[in-house]
Amino acid sequence: MRGRPHLHTSYSSDQALMPTTTKKVVLAIFLVLAALAPIASSIPFYPDFLGHNDWMKILSHVAVFGIGALGINLLTGVAGQVSLGHAFFMGLGAYVAVVFGSPPGDLWGLGLPMWIWLPMAGIIPAIVGLLVGPAAVRVRGLYLAFATLGLVFIGEWAWRNLKFVTGGAFAGRRFPDFQWRVWKEETPVVDFASDGVWLGFEISEEAKVYLLMLGFLVVATLVAKNLQRTRTGRAFQAIRDRDIAAEIMGVDEFRYKLTAFGISSAYAGVAGALFASFVGRQIPETWDLFLSVEFIAIILIGGAGTVSGALMGTAFVIVLPRLVQDFTEWLSGIIESGEGTLAKVADVVVAISPDDGGVINTIPGVGPGLSVFQLNQILFGLLIILFMIFEPLGLYGIWLRIRNYWKGWPFTY
Amino acid sequence: MTVVVERSQDLPTAGQGTRTVASLVRDRALRTPDMVALREKDYGIWQEITWGEYWEQVLLAAHGLLALGVDVGDRVSIHSEDRPEWVILDIATVAVRGVTVGLYPTNPAAEVQYLLADSGSRVHLAEDQEQADKLMEVIHTLPNVERVIHAEPRGFRAYREDPRFIFWEAFLELGRRHRQENPQAVEKRMAEARPDDVMTLVYTSGTTGPPKGAMLDNANVEYCFDELINADSRMPGNRGPHSSDEILTYLPLCHVAERIFSTWTSAATGTTLNFAESIETVQENLREVQPTLFFAVPRIWEKLHAAVLIKGQDATWFKRVIMLIGSALASSVGRQRARNGGRHTLASGVLFAIGYPLVFRALRERIGLRRCRWAGSGAAPIAPEVIEFFHGLGVNLYELYGMTENAAVATNNFHGRMKLGTVGEPYPGIGLRIAPDTGEIQTKHAGVFRGYWNKPEQTAEAFTEDGWLRTGDVGEWVDGTHVKIVDRIKHIIITSGGKNISPSEIENSLKTSPFVKEAMVIGDGKNYLTALIGIELDTVGDWATRRNLPYTTYRDLGEKPEVLKLVQDVINETNSKFARVENIRKFRMLPKELDHEDGELTATQKLKRESMEEMFEPLIADMYSGRK
Repeated sequence: MRGRPHLHTSYSSDQALMPTTTKKVVLAIFLVLAALAPIASSIPFYPDFLGHNDWMKILSHVAVFGIGALGINLLTGVAGQVSLGHAFFMGLGAYVAVVFGSPPGDLWGLGLPMWIWLPMAGIIPAIVGLLVGPAAVRVRGLYLAFATLGLVFIGEWAWRNLKFVTGGAFAGRRFPDFQWRVWKEETPVVDFASDGVWLGFEISEEAKVYLLMLGFLVVATLVAKNLQRTRTGRAFQAIRDRDIAAEIMGVDEFRYKLTAFGISSAYAGVAGALFASFVGRQIPETWDLFLSVEFIAIILIGGAGTVSGALMGTAFVIVLPRLVQDFTEWLSGIIESGEGTLAKVADVVVAISPDDGGVINTIPGVGPGLSVFQLNQILFGLLIILFMIFEPLGLYGIWLRIRNYWKGWPFTY
Repeated sequence: MTVVVERSQDLPTAGQGTRTVASLVRDRALRTPDMVALREKDYGIWQEITWGEYWEQVLLAAHGLLALGVDVGDRVSIHSEDRPEWVILDIATVAVRGVTVGLYPTNPAAEVQYLLADSGSRVHLAEDQEQADKLMEVIHTLPNVERVIHAEPRGFRAYREDPRFIFWEAFLELGRRHRQENPQAVEKRMAEARPDDVMTLVYTSGTTGPPKGAMLDNANVEYCFDELINADSRMPGNRGPHSSDEILTYLPLCHVAERIFSTWTSAATGTTLNFAESIETVQENLREVQPTLFFAVPRIWEKLHAAVLIKGQDATWFKRVIMLIGSALASSVGRQRARNGGRHTLASGVLFAIGYPLVFRALRERIGLRRCRWAGSGAAPIAPEVIEFFHGLGVNLYELYGMTENAAVATNNFHGRMKLGTVGEPYPGIGLRIAPDTGEIQTKHAGVFRGYWNKPEQTAEAFTEDGWLRTGDVGEWVDGTHVKIVDRIKHIIITSGGKNISPSEIENSLKTSPFVKEAMVIGDGKNYLTALIGIELDTVGDWATRRNLPYTTYRDLGEKPEVLKLVQDVINETNSKFARVENIRKFRMLPKELDHEDGELTATQKLKRESMEEMFEPLIADMYSGRK
């Protein structure tokens, strides 16, 4: 009831996604701000750099991986089935998209419009997920992880050898552009793949893609969030918390595990298709174990089992390397610009030339230090360990703690 | 020749008849059928009952009572926690001109036997298996109980063969059939209602002797509507209860206070009643409902007060600092408001504006009084410190005074004219006097009851020769306008030195400490005062845990030297506020938590002094034996 957030007079108010006006307003403001990022420079007090093309790409990357993270979160976080097969389904989605969406040529392609190839990129992985699922859902825990690990390697082998689809090892192929066509006409109805003017604003290709990805992410989030409060979502959670207890309560374990597998695969497929198209060209090696592990890292850092955790984790994992890179560049700048204690400290941390000593090496492959890439890997590993030990609920857990601190005000419990 | 008057002309048509709670509910249901009348939490959701549905259920229940043969003046008893069925059956009983008798859910079998035999109830509502079991223990002595309605379907397998039992739904179904066969039967009965129809028996709690059933009639209740519920300027902004107000119904409905502040207020003014799940969940339900009007007994206020203090101490250091600042602000605001009759002064307004965003708002949200615009305390004396504290938080808490026998119409602290430590001014126009010789408060007005059920002797004792109701409370005038209650006449202690002492004042002062739950001051005919102290297990347990003091039971905890020291400190603090003759020289800890079932407390948690003195005789004797 209005003004009484705890007085629920119906289940719909009890289960509402946005129970209070404050929440609605905050979310609306956030969405508007996110949508305005491409024209950041023309809005006062808005951080300018977000509108630059490189940051638009990073944000699009976050949105696409966010969709993938929602999928793995559903399977691993909500339903408790640890899967390393996410990369396989992403790859499958990408290649389904390319077969349906790319124009015919040396490689397979049907040249169909986006409204066909994108849904197919979800549907076919879901079907494959349901087909291979029965084998996987018979095992649980570590064994499931191993079984799904197998999928990734089978997938990698397949992608390398299905040259007429994937373009072959280390070559890859171009993926369809983001262009909205009704059918196979020449000029698309909406073209996201070139710069243009929208509503009187100069919008770059990157910004357009970002807006599109943002839209997909919002839809994917709504679906995922809603799913959690349905009978299916509750069944997932029951299985996660104790599969035997869930089965005794009448939850059909096999059916719901399979459903989780299917939905998660659909999310992965769409994310894979969007990712491949967004990058433009992908090689079969993209869809390897490291990609799967990255997604596991995302939900562990973000907080397994929560939608907002999955999104926070994605943002963190995608943006962190960029920050590390900016940081090392900033340090290099200090060294070059001159003297002072800061420059000396920076000199120890960063190596800017082959004969310069330093922990981080800005020139890849030369000198003794770590490359920025290696540093990122170490950081992620460290973060996963630290989160597992100190904050098992991830970034979401930190947020939860901050929120509870104020919720309990002026008491502690 | 005698004139033959047609019988049918005698019958008033529906819509006429005297104003009763039933006619008020009906009229409101006709005016605003879709507004929410009742809310009950079921399966985690506050299920709403509109006025239209409410009246429909009352009608069905009333027809059901007619089907069971309930005649004018027949008693219908209700033994249940607060729930919509309680109110519905109550209103339905009034509609068919029956008499409602409420029992406390905590009443044990023996008291159930006494109350049902004394009232001669014909139809009984036993909420669930627990209450039904109590009844079945004694039903062989109660030939008057013809039918037993049960509100919960579960646990009645054993009684399935017993033709006396009928489930609530089946009872309503019975009413539905009766209504088809005799449409308008209830309306006819209502139209015949008279102002002097007894509508309820409210049993006194019986601190001394067995409970007596006070008879209240429709005229008494109507007087209560006009004088108390709709009293001008009772509430801030001169705005009495109305249909946008929310009330939490949680105190036993058989007590006149909850009946007035829930059922009757809602019938008279259209406020929404929210039924708490149980007495244990009151604090949680308060948070959910955030009532705008809240009446509580001092015990509840003390508990809320203690909860704030304890939780504040348990908070992390930064919050603790903020709480300290908040408490300082609150006590300053509270003091100034109390001195100013409950209104803000300029200074208190400024301090409040600082404290509100910092602590008060969140604090009130946590205890469920964020939207409370009027709060009342009554039924027992409350410590002034507690009132001051809540005024400091911005909760308009006013003490009022009344008793079952005068439909609770006696005195009230009006908003802006409050005097701390008094129970307020008499309602305008009512008869209230303080007998010059005994100091007893006496009232005379249309709300004064008809007498005790079947107890002409006690009824006669309750009135003076010139027809004033003797309240049994000693009072005195403060500034000629406000009344201060000294104590019950029977409780006044006269020491061997001949000094008159009011024990409740001292007891209340002791009970302001969050650690003291029960206190009984003794000393009648002795040369010094002593006290029996019962600790509050939660808070003292918490206190002990934080000092790494291990304990096992209530008794073990109470006998720890550290706890004795803690209680001694509380007593010293109280002693410093009173004259030397009123100081407590010795005390003993009660070895058990006092309980209604064991006969130490009444159903309203008041001390039964005589039985206490009997039960703890060795402890009392020990305090006067000369040993330390």
